[in-house]
Amino acid sequence: MSHQVPAELFYTKDHEWVRVEGETATVGITDFAQSALGDIVFVELPAAGSTYSHGDTFGVVESIKSVSDLFSPLDGEVLEKNEALEASPDLCNQAPYESWMIKLKLSSTNVSHLLNAKSYTEFCASLD
Amino acid sequence: MTNAELLKTSLHASHLELKAKMSPFAGYDMPVQYTSVKEEVLSVRQNVGVFDVSHMGEFFVRGTDAVKFVDEMITNDFASAPVGKAVYSPLCRDNGTVIDDLIAYKLAADEVLICVNASNIAKDWNWISQFAPQYNCKLTNESDDFSLLALQGPKTVEIMQKLELLPKHDLEYYAALRFGNFILARTGYTGEDGFEIFGSHKEIKNLWTKLLELGVAPCGLAARDVLRLEVCYPLYGHELNDEITPLDAGLKWTVKLQKPKFKGQAALVEAQPKFRLAKLMLEKAIPREGYAVLDSSGQTIGSVTSGTMSVSINKGIALALIQKDQWPKDEKFFIQIRQNLWPAEYTSKAFYQGAHK
Repeated sequence: MSHQVPAELFYTKDHEWVRVEGETATVGITDFAQSALGDIVFVELPAAGSTYSHGDTFGVVESIKSVSDLFSPLDGEVLEKNEALEASPDLCNQAPYESWMIKLKLSSTNVSHLLNAKSYTEFCASLD
Repeated sequence: MTNAELLKTSLHASHLELKAKMSPFAGYDMPVQYTSVKEEVLSVRQNVGVFDVSHMGEFFVRGTDAVKFVDEMITNDFASAPVGKAVYSPLCRDNGTVIDDLIAYKLAADEVLICVNASNIAKDWNWISQFAPQYNCKLTNESDDFSLLALQGPKTVEIMQKLELLPKHDLEYYAALRFGNFILARTGYTGEDGFEIFGSHKEIKNLWTKLLELGVAPCGLAARDVLRLEVCYPLYGHELNDEITPLDAGLKWTVKLQKPKFKGQAALVEAQPKFRLAKLMLEKAIPREGYAVLDSSGQTIGSVTSGTMSVSINKGIALALIQKDQWPKDEKFFIQIRQNLWPAEYTSKAFYQGAHK
């Protein structure tokens, strides 16, 4: 399965992508994830002010047949959720890297546990 | 079970070629979706789609007592169905619990085809084969010799005509006949017009190729599940199981207590239903199997047996088994999804009205 993995982002093994800009992280799900899930029909995201450590469940994404948790890739507080996705969940299928889910104000900018594009691509290849 | 141990239908190679997402189901490596579940559901509702359901089981009963035998095994009335008719029925134990649900096709006065769920082939066979010797008939399990396609959707007849597979006098709903090398049945699991076509692996492979060439959309098990749930058809293992009776699952219409004799009759005459099946809709969330159903006082009164996002009505839809003695008088239901309680709209009609109600 060929899928996009933009070079400038970080990734998790749970198939989230992260864009880190200073103390802010923008989080979404990858092209691999949306393709594996199929038609995304429901997204549940947290309110601003919620705080998470990396690995915590922050929301849910559902396809017609499945329910998947969303895991916070980093530690921080939710600044904003993408309300457009709650109204039009299919945006995640159409443009996964534009369809961010939450923005986090980071309490730690340590990204050493995240994968870079190359490692994530290799990780996905190992799943096929 | 590893992939190597999974059984393959005769169309397995074609599914892989079409890049279907495959998943184990009832011991088979089956296509779950080809393109998108949404597109496949809409193909069947608006146009025509084809499902490989070769994993399902086919039993044949032949002989003078064939009809009598089947009639006495199942709860619905098969004896009085005319030759050429099909009958949907639960198959019950002596205690009235459901072993399986099936369709029996009266191909001739002395020949019956029984189509059973793939996951229950062995269980059904073990049950009914012990009684067959008491009748003047021969029961055979021919599941391995047959492939089965379900061609479903409003344009089914158009396709059948193109393939010269439409019998001269057409075929009414829930009727079946032998036609050339096939057994054609006007049955299905989608609520739409359609045919189920039984044949040898070779014949079905050829037919599958022709159907794809005619542009019929291949559809997977995921779309099939959405389609059946939209029209509220039960699925064994969900709405029906080994622990409950057909009366618990809204199938009273399939239990003909007045018949002279059938397996489970004595128990079902006495049985008080423990559950009632509720059809519930959510505007903004998706109910899933196992979610709790509550009444307006916050008491748990049952649980969801099947739930999905309906493609045809764009709502969350669920079937739920509710404790009969706790059925809310105000008919107000709530479904717990993670931390939230969502008000669910109760409906007495199917979520979607296909061509067949």
